[in-house]
Amino acid sequence: MSAFDKYLHGVIVRAMEEAQDDGSATIDAHHLLLSLAADQGSTAQQVLASVGLDRAAVREALDRECEHSLSMVGVSPAAYDLPGPSHASQQPKMGASARLALERSFASARKKDLRSAHLLLGILQAHIGTVPRALALAGIDQAELADRVRQTLIGQEQ
Amino acid sequence: MSVGENSLPPEPADALAAVVALRRLADQLEAAAVEQAMRAGWSWPQVSEALGVTRQAVHKKHAKRLIAAGVKLRRRGDERV
Repeated sequence: MSAFDKYLHGVIVRAMEEAQDDGSATIDAHHLLLSLAADQGSTAQQVLASVGLDRAAVREALDRECEHSLSMVGVSPAAYDLPGPSHASQQPKMGASARLALERSFASARKKDLRSAHLLLGILQAHIGTVPRALALAGIDQAELADRVRQTLIGQEQ
Repeated sequence: MSVGENSLPPEPADALAAVVALRRLADQLEAAAVEQAMRAGWSWPQVSEALGVTRQAVHKKHAKRLIAAGVKLRRRGDERV
């Protein structure tokens, strides 16, 4: 197992825990993002932190996105003061958005050159879905953030 | 709440995201409601009938979680008359 494989495994395990905490049956792209943001010391985490996105900030942005989207059809999540689900039972499976993010990551470099930043780049390549909407609501310029990630990768190659 | 033609969000992205968020909310509501029912002594057949899904489906989705949460589940044959 390469260093990157080990890193990726850790990212996915943490994303799975995030999905379970959400009561979600699938690991989605936003769970990967939460996982990256929580991984102290990785390049991906540092780039996210440089625009103020630690794990708590990502979580908050996602909650806002959910609230905002519900409000679009006249539903107030505040009306549902639900107890958090007793921990999800089934192991969450990889969902379509997370799969897509990983595919995009893997397509962005040769296997032996893959780094944490490629995972972040794969997530940021989505223009549609929960992550782009949450980032926009948090006032993050996604294209600019992706550029930062690319700059970091260029820096790492030299 | 009505989602008539007039209240569909004008942006497709907003309308589709609302679907995602509603599904998430419905899942959370289902998890909480099933747990509440089972704690109150409802049986799997009753819960599945109320949800309009098969007993297998509701069991598969919730049994492990409820057992892990320490909810005492009624078994077949425990039905009260």
